[in-house]
Amino acid sequence: MLSIDNVSKSFMGVRALRGVSFVGAADEILGLIGPNGAGKSTLVNAISGVLKPDSGSIRLGDVDLTGRGPEFAARQGVGRTFQNLRLFPSLTVRQNVEVGLITCRRHRPEVARSIDIDALLDRFGLAADAGRPAGTLPYGQQRRLELARAEALGAKLLLLDEPAAGMNDYETAALADQLRAIRRRSRCALLVIDHDLHFIMSVCDRICVLDMGEVVAIGTPELIRANPKVAEIYLGAAEAAPHQKNIREERQWN
Amino acid sequence: MSVTTQTRSAQKTLAPWMRSLVGGLVTALPVILIGIVILLFAPAYLVRVAFAAYVNLLIVLGLQIFMGNSMVANLGQGAFVGIGAYSVAILATPVAMKKLSIPDAPFGLADIVLHPALAAGAGLGITGLIAALTGLVIARLSGEAATIVTFSLMMVVHSIFIQWTDLFKGAQAFFGIPQVVGLATAIGAATLATIIARLFKDSASGLHLRASAESLLAARAFGVDVFRLRLLAWILGAVICASGGILYAFFMGTINARAFHFELVMTTLAMLILGGMRTVSGAVFGCIALALLLEAIRSVESGIAVAGFQLPPLLGLSGLAMGAIIVLGMTFRPRGIFVRLELDELLWRLFARRQPRAITEGKPI
Repeated sequence: MLSIDNVSKSFMGVRALRGVSFVGAADEILGLIGPNGAGKSTLVNAISGVLKPDSGSIRLGDVDLTGRGPEFAARQGVGRTFQNLRLFPSLTVRQNVEVGLITCRRHRPEVARSIDIDALLDRFGLAADAGRPAGTLPYGQQRRLELARAEALGAKLLLLDEPAAGMNDYETAALADQLRAIRRRSRCALLVIDHDLHFIMSVCDRICVLDMGEVVAIGTPELIRANPKVAEIYLGAAEAAPHQKNIREERQWN
Repeated sequence: MSVTTQTRSAQKTLAPWMRSLVGGLVTALPVILIGIVILLFAPAYLVRVAFAAYVNLLIVLGLQIFMGNSMVANLGQGAFVGIGAYSVAILATPVAMKKLSIPDAPFGLADIVLHPALAAGAGLGITGLIAALTGLVIARLSGEAATIVTFSLMMVVHSIFIQWTDLFKGAQAFFGIPQVVGLATAIGAATLATIIARLFKDSASGLHLRASAESLLAARAFGVDVFRLRLLAWILGAVICASGGILYAFFMGTINARAFHFELVMTTLAMLILGGMRTVSGAVFGCIALALLLEAIRSVESGIAVAGFQLPPLLGLSGLAMGAIIVLGMTFRPRGIFVRLELDELLWRLFARRQPRAITEGKPI
């Protein structure tokens, strides 16, 4: 279970996160949305240990991850993908996945025993390219490889920073299926950031909305869809006439 | 099942470490064969030249282990070669000789002598210890900072060799070291170092270290302990460089601090760049290619007769050639001859590609 408690982070006086608190269930797909600059990536970086929060705590189950660094988070089972792809381009597809698996073997061998690298590559449609350098794959496959690498870590929590970026509708639908399948197989929690609201609404059990570094709303997709604050953040029209509300929602969700 | 799949299966039937061992042996095969030919047929002069080349190969392999896997530049290898060489010189030289060369050596070192094997072990241990201490700083650095610090390390160690005359004889030659090794030992050591370098590269630690060279942030986010692995590679590389120095001292019988300075650093670096620093095969073949080329140039350098016409000596030609090789190599083939795949991997691919053609042609496989 992921527990974020009153986490704040500033960069040279700019407050990127302001007392963010929420709790995620152990096998939940939780969406994290918000306009640009809302603090989504900062929060993901804080959870994965890349950034140290100024205050507050981040726990995964009984383990305190706060400020312990990315290596520690990874060893505890926090896997992640990056907003801008960060594969190991000269290493082969298989070796990329092995990097995650090696860490899992060393620190959680009981989990690693259940991970079959060939089956994993097969599931992500990468088996035929296993010996190819990762940097030579097409973009869509590179995105899939990032996911496969994160799953090979035997993650308890997967942080996905804009996994649908640059994908077409067909690829996004396939990605949604893949995320559900990962949750089913690994029984892990997923925290998904994305700007594609259709994708987020369709795949997430709950959604957390951030704005200006604060949690504005958290709840099921239906609740979030009906939340006027959320519509306001996205459309910036708080005083819009009631008859315009439906138009706003149409534009936003359809 | 296609033959390509069969080939892959054949590769997979071997345990990963066994595949690396076989790969290391395949890479070392030219090293062994060339050595045997020289041992059997070459004159004494060529044996001496070949020995120097094998020492260089050990140093290049030591460089490859750290630099090739971490992609952090290292110009400090000369320091560890020197430490290895001087350790055995001080510890294994007979007392009678030391009374002449370093009578005022501190810590009673002028009065003790160790068996060459023990001295070699001590030399490797001392190098490992110094590498561990310096590695605590270097393993935290990247880019220009690492390059400057490794270069400074070589300068500091060289200054100590030159200035601490009571122990290292300063700029004078340290003589009287027992000459207890021959080319066969160097061939064995180079083969072993090639296998060690390959096993390390293909190990879980090697893969993690290579991943950190590609994306430091992603590697850390996947649990890679970059500091520990760089330190490990630094120590292992230093010890292999030192083994080159130890063999050099035990073969030559005389050493001088100048032998472990700029020229050695540039030569071995050029060998690694030429061959391709990311692969062990690159280290081996870069060393072979440059050793042959430099020897050919040296023969021209001293003045040769072409069609009855005597060319004058062209002193400094080898240095010029080395600079040209580095510049041309970095310009036209910056990643070297063996860019990503090792020799055995290239051979496997060639084999796998040819097999399906054999089926279509109806040839037995």
